[in-house]
Parts: sequence; structure tokens; C-alpha cells
Amino acid sequence: MSNGPDGSSAGADHIPVSADDTAREGDGAGLTGRAAPLEVQDLVAGYGGVTALHGVTVTAGAGAITAVLGANGAGKTTLLRAVSGMIKPRRGRVLLDGTDVAGRGPEQIVRAGIAHVPEGHGVIAELTVEENLRIGMMSWPSRLARRRAPESQRADRAAALDEEFARFKPLADRRRKLASTLSGGERQMLVIARALLARPRVLLLDEPSLGLAPRVMAQVMDLVVRLSRERGLTIVLVEQNARSALSIADHGFVLNLGRVVASADAPTLAADVALRHHYLGF
Amino acid sequence: MAEFLQLTLSGISFGMVYAAIALSLVLIWRGTRVLNYAQGGMAMFTTFIAIEVIYRTHNYWAGFVVALAAGLVLGAICELTVIRPTLSRPPLNAVIVTIGLLILLEGLAGILFGGQFRSFPAAFSITGLKVGGTALGVSRFDVFVVAAVLATTLVLAVVFKYTSAGLRMRATAFNATIAQLSGIRVARVLTVGWALAGLLGALAGVLVSPSTFLYPNSMDIIFVYGFTAAVIGGLDSPAGAVVGGLLLGLALSYVGGYVGGSVGSELTSLVAFGILIAVLMIRPDGLFAGARMRRV
Repeated sequence: MSNGPDGSSAGADHIPVSADDTAREGDGAGLTGRAAPLEVQDLVAGYGGVTALHGVTVTAGAGAITAVLGANGAGKTTLLRAVSGMIKPRRGRVLLDGTDVAGRGPEQIVRAGIAHVPEGHGVIAELTVEENLRIGMMSWPSRLARRRAPESQRADRAAALDEEFARFKPLADRRRKLASTLSGGERQMLVIARALLARPRVLLLDEPSLGLAPRVMAQVMDLVVRLSRERGLTIVLVEQNARSALSIADHGFVLNLGRVVASADAPTLAADVALRHHYLGF
Repeated sequence: MAEFLQLTLSGISFGMVYAAIALSLVLIWRGTRVLNYAQGGMAMFTTFIAIEVIYRTHNYWAGFVVALAAGLVLGAICELTVIRPTLSRPPLNAVIVTIGLLILLEGLAGILFGGQFRSFPAAFSITGLKVGGTALGVSRFDVFVVAAVLATTLVLAVVFKYTSAGLRMRATAFNATIAQLSGIRVARVLTVGWALAGLLGALAGVLVSPSTFLYPNSMDIIFVYGFTAAVIGGLDSPAGAVVGGLLLGLALSYVGGYVGGSVGSELTSLVAFGILIAVLMIRPDGLFAGARMRRV
């Protein structure tokens, strides 16, 4: 485990790089001049007779980290599941670069450019590390669709794999081992690497720090920051741990009982004592 | 000693048929968490198709190939039409649907092909082989049975382990949510799984029918043996299914051979049920289940 690039962990003194925030509560407008890659508008979703989201509007700025916060049952996970197609929204739109993908299946939405790392158990323990990563490339266009020689496609895939192995050294060392042999932090690396292999424009992360030791958690947060800064990836980060999420996020939305109750840039949310006590628990 | 050898070899031959059925059950269980009680009925139906083709073309291999193809198609059709709607429902629904499918197939077979016992041809001679005057108790056809099931199993194992399609199937079996989020078309993978199971069942039907006669219920007892083999091996383990089939084939062969006369042959199905119950009571996850708990 050594992926802290410059030793700087996600500290409270981190300074977000986004432009001035202009979003108001429930306001779907873009954060900056650039169009937001992901705009969720008035989303209603739930399970069976239960409605978990009552018209949620959330915008994720290009190349920024957008934190979605709130207590248990606030609807954070449901929001990600509705965006990635795991559940069908009953109403509302999910705009990916202006195209509404709401209602499509997850296997289509990942092809459109949204990768979702669900909470917990995202590693397939019965498969090897490399096999887990190869699954990340299943959304790539098939041989027939691309009309390219199988050899060059194989080379593309091998190169993409090598890139992730170079980024995540501990995974490279265990390439042929079963994923069940990995530590918690390595598992989190594996699922994030697998999501990256889908070459998404938007990455949805559900509680990446769940169950990790504080030091490992800091490394994972650090990784999330680097993905945003270095790759320009648009990241939506759902976290129970609001303090550490806000320390790396550019913007934050607070959900409560399926509604957005606050939306502001991360430092503003972190400075709002009443909001923190009320909804964020710190 | 000669008797032991004969019983062992014929046990292996029958065991491979049970293994094929067991493997088809495992394929379906791993993909859809459904126990397919119609597997024997599907195998019976495709074997009837094979016999009709053989009678019309006078060519065994035409029937053999058509049976396997029919198995593929029947498996896919069953999944698409009756199984898929049950997958989002409580597990018992699928169980009942497969039992209904079994009754439907057996009824249809009776209507279309008749209820009488029909003899099914074998690909090769069924007279026993001899080595230096000692009868081995197996025929060329028995050798073919073992080779055919082994070859099919090996091909499947290689496909599962080393191809992208195989990885898609394994990923779907282990974690359908992750598979779907990664872009795998899970519904299509499940259909392919049922189709492959249909093919294995069809293979078992064609291989076993020369020794059992063919009639609408002829695969029922073979299904029970295959199911027992799958449970012995653990429903999640393809390798366990093959080993379970062999173990059961040997056990039944010894019981049938050493316990004299008609008692022995009557006893075999009883012994199979006894083994099934014993395994379910002592090691419900099967003899080859790892430390991993089954996630049901």
C-alpha cells in the first residue's frame, strides 16, 4: 500500500480549485461557464411502494468533485442507482452532456459514459484481480462494431490494463491472485481501476471509504482527488463521512429524506455550523 | 476382480451421463439461481427429436447434431419465455414454473411422439469389449459416452476460463450487479447459460437413451441421479458436478452389481435417494463447497 504520491493526504487545509460557486439551492444551472457533464433534473425514484427521491436536482461540474451528503436513508445511494440505471427513475431527467439517459439500462448507461462504483462488495472475490479488471472493459465496442483486427484490439486492452497496473502497483503484484486475497484498501483500488477501464466521463463513487482504516481512507480520498485533477474526470462522491468528503470536494449537495436541502461550494457547507449539526453530524 | 472392473467401468460410463445432467443444472443454478426441474424433460424432448431425425435420415450423426442444436434452442426459448418473467419474483415461482414446464414437455412428447417405449440407437457397438478374453463390461459406445461428456466438459471449462464470453458468464454468475454496471448484457448471458444447459441435457439424453428406452418419462430417474450428483458436488461447482456424477455412477453400479438379482437393480434408485438425503443433511453445500458460504 503506497499510493500517496506526494505524501499529502486529504487534509482539512485543502483548497478547492473550482471557480466561484453560483448555484443556489435546488438550482440546476451549471456551476461555471463550462457545461456540466452530468445534470440530474427533478428526479423521482424509489423501490416498490416507497419513494426515496422526491424530485432531486443535482449538477456535477466538469472535472470537479461533487459531494452528495446526508444521513442514512437520505436517498444518496438511490440517487446514484437511478443515475446509473440500476433502478428506473419514475420521473425526471438524467442529462449526460445534454443527452437524457434516464430509463436506460445500466449496461447502456456505462457505454454512454457514466461508471458507477456501488457501495461495498464491488470486488468479485471468486475472480482474479486481472479478471476483475478485464470486466471493466466489457463495455468497449465489440470486435464487429469497430471493424478492427482482433490483434490490435487485444493490444489496446492489454495497454489499458498495463496503464491501470502502473497506476495501482499493489494490484500489479497480485495480478493472478484471487481478489478475495486483497486488503480493504486494495479492493477499493481494484473497483476504482475497474470503473476507470470503462473510460467514463462521469464517475459515481458510493462510500469509497466505507470500512477502511483512517490511513487507507486518506489514500482513497487522495486517489479521488488525483482522478479529478489529473484526469479531468467528473466525480460524484457519495459519503457518509461528510467531513472528509467536503475536504476534497469542490461542491456539495445535502440530501434529507429524498430532497436537496442545501447546495453550495464545499467550504461554505463545511463552514455552516447549523447545517453540519443538523444534517451532516459533525 | 473381473466383476469389480466391469462394475467400475460401467459405473464410470453411467456416471458421465449423470455428470452431464449435473453440469447443466449447475450452469443454470449459477446463472439464474433456479433449479431447473424441467432439465430431464428438455433432454427427453430433444432425444425424441433426434430419434425422429434418425428414422427419417437413417443417419445417427444427423440425429445427434440435431439433438444438440435443439437442446441449445429449447434452453434459450425456455429462458426467454417462461423463466425470465419469474426472475424478479420470489424463488419459489421459478421452481413451480420449471415443474410446470416439465409436465408440459412430457405431455407434448406424448401427443407428438406417442407414449410407447422406443429403442434408441447407439452410435457404436454396444457389445462388450474384451481384453485377452476377459470381458471389460463396457462397449465401444460406453467409451464414446465417456469421451463425449469429457470432451464437452473440457471445451466448456476452457471457454469459461479463457475467453471473454466465459468471463462474462462467470462475472454474471458471481455478481450480476457488477456485471451489469460494467456493461455486460446480463439478460443475454443468462439466455446463453440456459442454451448451454439445454445442450448438455440433450447430450445426456442421446447418450443414455440406448440403455433406458425412450418414452415421455424416461429421463425422470436420470434427472434424479443428475440432481443427486449436482448436490453431491455442490450446486455451485462445475468440477464438483462431474466428480459427483462419477461417484454416484460408481456407487449405483456397485450396489446394482453386488446386491444380487432383481433386488440390486431395484435398490439403485433407493440408494441414490439415500445418498441425496444424507448429503443434504450432512453437507448441504456439497462435498466440494469451499469455505465460502452460499449467498441465498
